[in-house]
Amino acid sequence: MNNTFQAARFGFLLKKSIYEKPFQLAGLTLLSMAVVLIMYAFLKTVAGFEVAQTGSFLTGLTGGCIIASVVYAYFSSSAMGYSFLTLPASAFEKWLYGIFLTGLYLLLFLLFFRVIDTLFVSYFLRHIHPNRAHYREIYETVTIFQYDSMVASQSFIMFFNFAGAMLIGSLYFNKTPFIRVALVICGCWCAAFVINLLIAKWMMPEAANAFPFLLVWINIGKDVARLDLPDYASHIVKLSFNFIIPAILWILAYIRLKEKEF
Amino acid sequence: MNNFFSINGLTIFVYYLTHTLIIDIRNLTFGYSPKKLLYKNLNLQLPAGSIYGLLGRNGAGKSTLLKNMIGLLYPLKGSITVNGFQPGKRSPSFLSTIYFIPEEVYVPALTITRYVELFAVFYPLFNHEQFNSYLLALDTLTNERLDRLSFGQQKKFIIAFGLACNTEILLLDEPTNGLDIPSKKQFRKLIASVMNGDRMIFISTHQVRDLDNLIDQVIIVDNGELIMNEPLSAVAEKLFFGIVERSNDYQEILYSENALKGIAIVTKNTTGADSKINLEHLFNAATENAVMIKNIFK
Repeated sequence: MNNTFQAARFGFLLKKSIYEKPFQLAGLTLLSMAVVLIMYAFLKTVAGFEVAQTGSFLTGLTGGCIIASVVYAYFSSSAMGYSFLTLPASAFEKWLYGIFLTGLYLLLFLLFFRVIDTLFVSYFLRHIHPNRAHYREIYETVTIFQYDSMVASQSFIMFFNFAGAMLIGSLYFNKTPFIRVALVICGCWCAAFVINLLIAKWMMPEAANAFPFLLVWINIGKDVARLDLPDYASHIVKLSFNFIIPAILWILAYIRLKEKEF
Repeated sequence: MNNFFSINGLTIFVYYLTHTLIIDIRNLTFGYSPKKLLYKNLNLQLPAGSIYGLLGRNGAGKSTLLKNMIGLLYPLKGSITVNGFQPGKRSPSFLSTIYFIPEEVYVPALTITRYVELFAVFYPLFNHEQFNSYLLALDTLTNERLDRLSFGQQKKFIIAFGLACNTEILLLDEPTNGLDIPSKKQFRKLIASVMNGDRMIFISTHQVRDLDNLIDQVIIVDNGELIMNEPLSAVAEKLFFGIVERSNDYQEILYSENALKGIAIVTKNTTGADSKINLEHLFNAATENAVMIKNIFK
């Protein structure tokens, strides 16, 4: 028997988990899609397409973080935790199932978002009157949200970081992991902001503000100037947030699952 | 192997030779905090082919020991080998040979049929016919969703499922908690019926009466220490359980309590008399006079 991975066993685990938690998994997915749809329609009406697309896209990815926080939600009761940990499947398979479901949600969400975005945009473009002022400008501005745009890329980075944090957090916090992990993230972010600002002020007394870990605003007379990191340092920071930190978080989830005592 | 050559050396030696050592705990030190240890240098070697009863007070660490055996907790020091595996690795090969029924059981919102379809595939020796017969015996056959059953029904369902998995090792933590009197009787019958020479059943409980006429070997832990690990045959040989009019007539009384027809006592069996083992009295004797008990079974 392969003690690391067996496709059939992984399939059984996946099937068992989906049937076992239909409300948490399918229910949350459907709920998230419904919220995205409502959010898109609402924001489009009150703030226009760009805000609607960004806002609802971020909302959908937040739904993915919630899914990531429930895939390992077996530890809210002792009996459930024992059942999950003593089920004859490997730690790798149990970890992979969490990754798989989070990834599956992302895929479904991206498909769903593309469908609703296309419908809303094409409906709008079809019904815009050619005689309307700035017709050409509006027609060219309202486009389908691109998944390779800067906004999408930044959102994906946030998603991979937060989803990783949720996966590992749900293995540390047995109850209400989403809220607790969100609080920890907020705490870490505030701490990083303050420490970064203090270091910036210590190194440059004229520093007005600082954003972890990319730029510093400095007072020059009555003006404020922005000081960016040099390219090589900026590259390292971006690399960390884009790949290294998410990878560490996702791998730590595996190690934690493997080592978890309950 | 603390009881090697202790009673009838040859018999026990042959027994250990013919029965594979299935649980081997060496110098186990465990505590939820390193400052407050539950077990210190515990040694326990258990071969297959027996039903073991683990007795201990509340908080003595019975469940903790079981959780170490299944790999839910890791020893601070020492080693545990179960069926040739290190439980802490929780490998599928190991987990498919052992089934753990905790005191509080978990059942999802599924019917019995669906549960079996989803969970039995992980246990290669699961037997559907046996499962149905166990459900019938425990009066738990229902089409209702499992989460809507009473706690006792849920527990009986999990017991039936665990038995039908036909794992080499079955660990049961307080299995009779939540069972009504007829179910306890059925449980004892079932456990006795599924036992064979290759299997080991390990029952941890503080309800010692539920183990009457069920276990082959008794293990008593107290204050993080193994006080007794003996077959009941050895207990019957070395100790005398009886009701007497005056306890003063007996030396080395390990335990006594007032009973309806006199005084119930546990003493060293110096005359070779046959007596019926009272597990509750044995437990009290072992916990109140641990040193004397250890000397008797040395």
